[in-house]
Amino acid sequence: MTNAIEIDAVTRHFGRVHALDNISFTVPEHSIVGLLGRNGAGKTTVMSIMAGQDRPTSGHVRVAGHDPFEHAATLAQISYVRDNQRYPDDYRLHHVVRIAPDFAPHWSEDIATELVEGFRIPAKTPIKKMSRGQLSSVAIVLGLASRAPVTLLDEPYLGLDVTGRAFFHRVLLRDYGEHPRTVVFSTHLIDESASLFDRVVIMDAGRLVLDANSDEASESAWVMSGATNAVTQLIGTANVLSTSTVGGLMSATGSGELDTETRALADDLRVHINRASLQQLVAAYGADRAASDTIDEDRRA
Amino acid sequence: MSTVIPTTKLHLNKREVTFVVPLYITALVAVVSVLISFLFWRAGSIPGTAGWVSGSQSNPGILYSLAGFLVYLGVQSVATTFPFALTLGATRRGFAGGTVLWAVLVSAYLAVVFAVLMTIEVQTGHWFSDFYVFDVYVLGAGDLGRLLPIVFLGTLSMLTIGGVFGGAWVRFGARGPQFIGVGVGLLLVLALIVLIPSAEDILAAFQLWWLAVAAVIVIALSSLGTWRLLRTAIVR
Repeated sequence: MTNAIEIDAVTRHFGRVHALDNISFTVPEHSIVGLLGRNGAGKTTVMSIMAGQDRPTSGHVRVAGHDPFEHAATLAQISYVRDNQRYPDDYRLHHVVRIAPDFAPHWSEDIATELVEGFRIPAKTPIKKMSRGQLSSVAIVLGLASRAPVTLLDEPYLGLDVTGRAFFHRVLLRDYGEHPRTVVFSTHLIDESASLFDRVVIMDAGRLVLDANSDEASESAWVMSGATNAVTQLIGTANVLSTSTVGGLMSATGSGELDTETRALADDLRVHINRASLQQLVAAYGADRAASDTIDEDRRA
Repeated sequence: MSTVIPTTKLHLNKREVTFVVPLYITALVAVVSVLISFLFWRAGSIPGTAGWVSGSQSNPGILYSLAGFLVYLGVQSVATTFPFALTLGATRRGFAGGTVLWAVLVSAYLAVVFAVLMTIEVQTGHWFSDFYVFDVYVLGAGDLGRLLPIVFLGTLSMLTIGGVFGGAWVRFGARGPQFIGVGVGLLLVLALIVLIPSAEDILAAFQLWWLAVAAVIVIALSSLGTWRLLRTAIVR
């Protein structure tokens, strides 16, 4: 399969802040990839670099075979709207949908109209006075109606109501089916979006912690819950990402195959082992001392 | 594929601000100028006399009022439009080129509008009442050959100066415009320190085309400066 995006040993520093630390991954063409992680994990920074809006301090990025920075032909194939997108002074919705086709060669007027009506975006309200959900709706109009071969959606759900989110899913999947493209999608509403992803890339503190097929990612992750001493005994050699203790009960989230011996022991100790959801896995990777009782940094690496 | 023309269209997308607001401001200045003329008339000045004409033609209100708006327009053409242009897929190079092209178009538009209004003013005996709005010294005192370059180069200067301040803000945040402002101020003071002993000779030899050359230099430096600032600017 051809890769639409290749990130190779990319590092990005902002002064003393290491926003990205030597990350590498690829995004296969015509796939939907979930870019997940906590706030400050580096998701927006890596998306900015993919979109040619920023350059790595070191490393290489190729989108459709080219470094996107200042490469007009590649930039025309990319749609990237930031979660905190700024618009020119006094802009209203009609300004956005009037100018976008001049930059987006695959722009669909029909999709734009459908999204504007479906999200009920007010036509006369200046964009700077729109609510958070309305701003997200405008960003989704730009992102989906562009039908860009590489579509980067940065927190498209922020502030959107549940009806709006369902509508967005429906239009995205339908239009993706009719006009396949490569979609990189960052969100914190992981459970709602998990079914969309072909692959997931999980980042934490500027580092890549997981790059896997979506099914493999959650199949290999588990949550153990039971009495604290029983769970502690079981996780002795397992790859534990985070633990949580309440009273005499403990739950531990980890990744990697559990052998039959461990599972049998879990039955004996009355410890439940369930497959972790993607959201639990992302939360576990992002857990630190403040959010987890015990973390083994070496195991997380 | 170049993004110069799409960027120019992006700027022209705000039609009212680009084409109509300058006319609103011009109309407001015209009304204020007429009111001031009425004031002088009521104070005893007689329309059509040499003193009336000279006093009316000395009114530079049109220059002051439009200059502020044009600098704002130049600032926002970069400061708030650049992040959106990047989102749409413009290159920095294309954005800088498209912004200069837009500034040239706006300057030409205003030059033509002012030329038409000045011609009407002169042909109607100054709006049938000896009111001077466009036939003023700062716009060439009724000479189209002067008015056109004055308005064109003046507008282009204001827009590109605003642009470089907007570029500095995008690149360095609030410190950028402050740095440019202080830097330009220091340069002007240093230039005055050097030139002041010869000021009398310079003023005696002054030619109008010096201003045109100065405007061209300012426009070129501002445009290049904007491009240099945006070349390394990122949007966060």
